[in-house]
Amino acid sequence: MSTAATVMTRSVEHSAFLEPALSRTTGTDEEHELIVRLRRGDEGAFDDLVNKHHSALIRMSMGYVRDREVAEEVVQDTWMAVIEGLHRFEGRSSLRTWIFGIMIHKAKDRGVREKRHMNFSAFESVDDESEEPVDPARFHQTGEWAGHWAVPPQPWDDQTPERLLASQQAVNAMQRAIEVLPPPLKAVLMLRDVEGVEAKEVCEILKITETNLYVRLHRARERVRQAVETYLEGRQFAV
Amino acid sequence: MVREERPAIVPEITCQEIVQWASAYLDEHVGDDRKRQIAVHLAICAGCETYVKQIATVRDIVGLLPKTVEQPSDLHRLRPAFTARARRSSSGD
Repeated sequence: MSTAATVMTRSVEHSAFLEPALSRTTGTDEEHELIVRLRRGDEGAFDDLVNKHHSALIRMSMGYVRDREVAEEVVQDTWMAVIEGLHRFEGRSSLRTWIFGIMIHKAKDRGVREKRHMNFSAFESVDDESEEPVDPARFHQTGEWAGHWAVPPQPWDDQTPERLLASQQAVNAMQRAIEVLPPPLKAVLMLRDVEGVEAKEVCEILKITETNLYVRLHRARERVRQAVETYLEGRQFAV
Repeated sequence: MVREERPAIVPEITCQEIVQWASAYLDEHVGDDRKRQIAVHLAICAGCETYVKQIATVRDIVGLLPKTVEQPSDLHRLRPAFTARARRSSSGD
């Protein structure tokens, strides 16, 4: 009997026993190795997986449920779903994409149940995709220079990043700006800029187009930029 | 106070458009024509050059903000669940 025929026969006879072959189209060799270890029941591999993603999952889920305890429950449910689903995971996406996808679905579900006036789409829609990221009043409205800066941003000096990170007040201002972002904007900023996930994978996790990604990412970054601008202007005024 | 820094000539695309393209441009997710238009604009517009630099600064800083490391409080419950599931799977259950 050929190998393929053997596999087919086994899959009919022991379908629950057989696990889907891992696709090698995505993921690194390291990830492939990790999945093999997980499927073997290697507890060390499971601990590695949890330690690698748990913090980011909590941070992300807070964007949907806004309550620490509920966020922890969502992530706990996510890990249980991962444990149950690992043996069906085909590796068509990265493990991270798959795990974050599960968490987002569970977090939205909890968010909807918490706020009955909201539905799933409330977590997807940005108030108005066409809204200008920067206040239109900062640009000329008419004439030859319409659409060009009337009140351009004032340059930050080269030490600004270090100074901002060294100032608790500035850090608080930035963290607050991120905290109050609408869920769709917060999700892209957290994944792309905080966790450093590649744009393509962010799109896969959130099931959005690259155009959407950049509209949202830019609006999120702009709100943080405004928080920094306000902080720096206030400091200048105070001196 | 109006803090205007107007370019010497009217650029091909407006500052408002540059603002919308800033993040995609920084991530090199714009087409060649758009990239050229933005590069030319940035070369002659101090306001937009400042703006794009500030967005790049924000992008870099956000990842450096202090993050809490969350330890799963219930790893002691997750691990046995993982082991039990793996055992069920290998026994063909």
